Amino acid sequence: MKQFLLKMWSHCVRLTARWPSIASIAPFIPVVAAWWIVTELQIFPRVFLPGPAEVVRSFGSLVYMGILPAYLQDSIVRLAVGAFWGVALGIPLGILVGLNQRARTALWPLLLFFQAIGDIAWLPILVIWFGYGLTTITVVIVYTVIFPVVLNTVLGVRSIPITLHRAAQSLGASRIRMLWEVVLPGALPNIVTGLRNGLGYGWRALIATEIIVGTSGIGFLMFDPRRSGSVVEILLGMIILGILWYIVDSWILAPIERATGQRWGLVTR
Amino acid sequence: MKDLTIRNLSKTYFDPYVGTNVTAVHDVSLKVEQGEFVCIVGPSGCGKTTILNMIAGFIPHTGGEILVGGRPVKGPGPDRGVVFQSFALFPWRTVLENVAFGPKMRGVRKVEREKIAHEYLALAKLTEAAGRYPAELSGGMQQRVGVVRALANEPDVLLMDEPFASVDAQTRMTLQEELTRIWQEKRPTVIFITHDVAEAVFLANRVVALSKGRVLDDIAVDLPRPRSWDALNDDARFKELSGRVLQLVRSA
Repeated sequence: MKQFLLKMWSHCVRLTARWPSIASIAPFIPVVAAWWIVTELQIFPRVFLPGPAEVVRSFGSLVYMGILPAYLQDSIVRLAVGAFWGVALGIPLGILVGLNQRARTALWPLLLFFQAIGDIAWLPILVIWFGYGLTTITVVIVYTVIFPVVLNTVLGVRSIPITLHRAAQSLGASRIRMLWEVVLPGALPNIVTGLRNGLGYGWRALIATEIIVGTSGIGFLMFDPRRSGSVVEILLGMIILGILWYIVDSWILAPIERATGQRWGLVTR
Repeated sequence: MKDLTIRNLSKTYFDPYVGTNVTAVHDVSLKVEQGEFVCIVGPSGCGKTTILNMIAGFIPHTGGEILVGGRPVKGPGPDRGVVFQSFALFPWRTVLENVAFGPKMRGVRKVEREKIAHEYLALAKLTEAAGRYPAELSGGMQQRVGVVRALANEPDVLLMDEPFASVDAQTRMTLQEELTRIWQEKRPTVIFITHDVAEAVFLANRVVALSKGRVLDDIAVDLPRPRSWDALNDDARFKELSGRVLQLVRSA
C-alpha cells in the first residue's frame, strides 16, 4: 500500500513537473466538484445557484454570439490603457518624490490625501464631469493604478543603499546616467510590486465602474442580467474575473519578477 | 596614477542630539606618493572612514584641503576609485558588466570595454564568474570583483574602506596576498583603511596610525615583496613592526 502511494506521488510530481499548468488547475478540481454536488443535490433553487454545466453552456452561447469576446476585449483594453498611463505617470513621479527632498515635502501629504479618496468615490463627480463613457472609466483606472505605483516607487528609490549611489558616482556616472543605471533598476522590484497592486486594484475598480457607468465589458455582463434574474451570467463573469487575473499574474507579472528582483538576488524566491 | 596631498584636513559637524559641534577629524596632514600603498589604521570611531569619505568626495570637508595630482577634490569623481566594505556591486549587472561599468561611463565602446573587463577579471582569477550575478558569488569573490571594478576604471588613487572586514579569516588572507600581487603588477596609489594592525603591516609601504581624529605616527614598512602569510607569520621584522603599530594604536 505504502509502495503504491509513493509510486502515485512520484507520478504526480513528474506529471506536474512536465506540465506545470496541471499543478495550477488541480486545486480547482475539488472546488468545482463541490459546486457541482451542491447544485445536483438541489440544496438551493436552481435559479439562484446554477451548476457548472449551465455556466459552461452559457459561456458557449455568449462566445458564439460574439458578446463575450467583445466585452472581454473592451475590459482588457480599458485596463491596459489605464495601466499604461498609470505607470507612465507614476514611475517618474515616484522617482522625483523618492530622490528630491523638496518634492517629497511638497507632494507626500497630497499623495496620502488623494490616495485615501478611493477610486469609486470619484465616480459621482466624474459622471457629472465626463458623463457615462470611456473618459470616466479611464480616469478611474489611471487614478487607481497610479497610487500603488508611485508609493512603491518612492519606497524602492529610498531603499537603494547609499553605497550604490556612491559607487556609481566614483566610477564616473553623471546624474542623468545614475537614474538609468542605479535608481531605476534599484527600485524595479518595488515598482513591479506597485504594478501588481495597482493592476489588482485597477481590475476591481474597472469592474465596479463598468457595473455603474458601463455599456459593455465584463462588469456590465455581470450587472446587466440582474433585470432578467439570470444568475448564470453573473457566475460566468465572476469566473472570468478570476481566470483573467490568474493569466495576468502568471504570464506578465511573475515572469517580470523572475527576470528582475529574483534573478538579482534582491528578493527571495 | 597620481599622488595625493592632504593638508590640515578637518571635519566638524553639528550633532543635533548633543546640541554641540563634534570634531571627527583634527588637522590631518598626509602625503601619499604616486604608486605608494598607505594603510590608515585605528580603532572604530577614530575618524578613518570619515577621512576616506572626504577624499572620495562623498562628504564635504570643513577645513584644510585635499589635492589629487595637484587638483582640489570637489565631490566624487572617477579619478578616485573606491572599494567598499559592503562591496556595493550593482546586483542587476553581471560581474563582467560591473567591471565594465567605469569604462562604459567614460564612453568606451562595448567590445573595447568588455575586453578591458575580461583582462581585469583574469587578473583577479575571476574569468569563470564573468557571466554570473553578484548575488550568486561568495563574499570573497564579490570583493575581488569590487577591487577590479575600481581598478578597471584606472583611477589616480584607489581608496579602500575596510574592504576585507566582512569576509572570513582564511579568505581574507588570500585576498590580502592577491591584493599585494595586483598592486605590484599595476602599481596604483592606494589608501587602505583598516582596524586590523597585522593587515595594515602586511599590505602597506607605510602605516599611518590614527586615534580620535589625529595622526599619531607614520611608520615605514620595509618588508620585502612579494609578501605571503606563510613567509611573514614567523618573520621577526613583521612581528616587530606589528607590535610597534599595535602599541601606538592602543596607547592612545
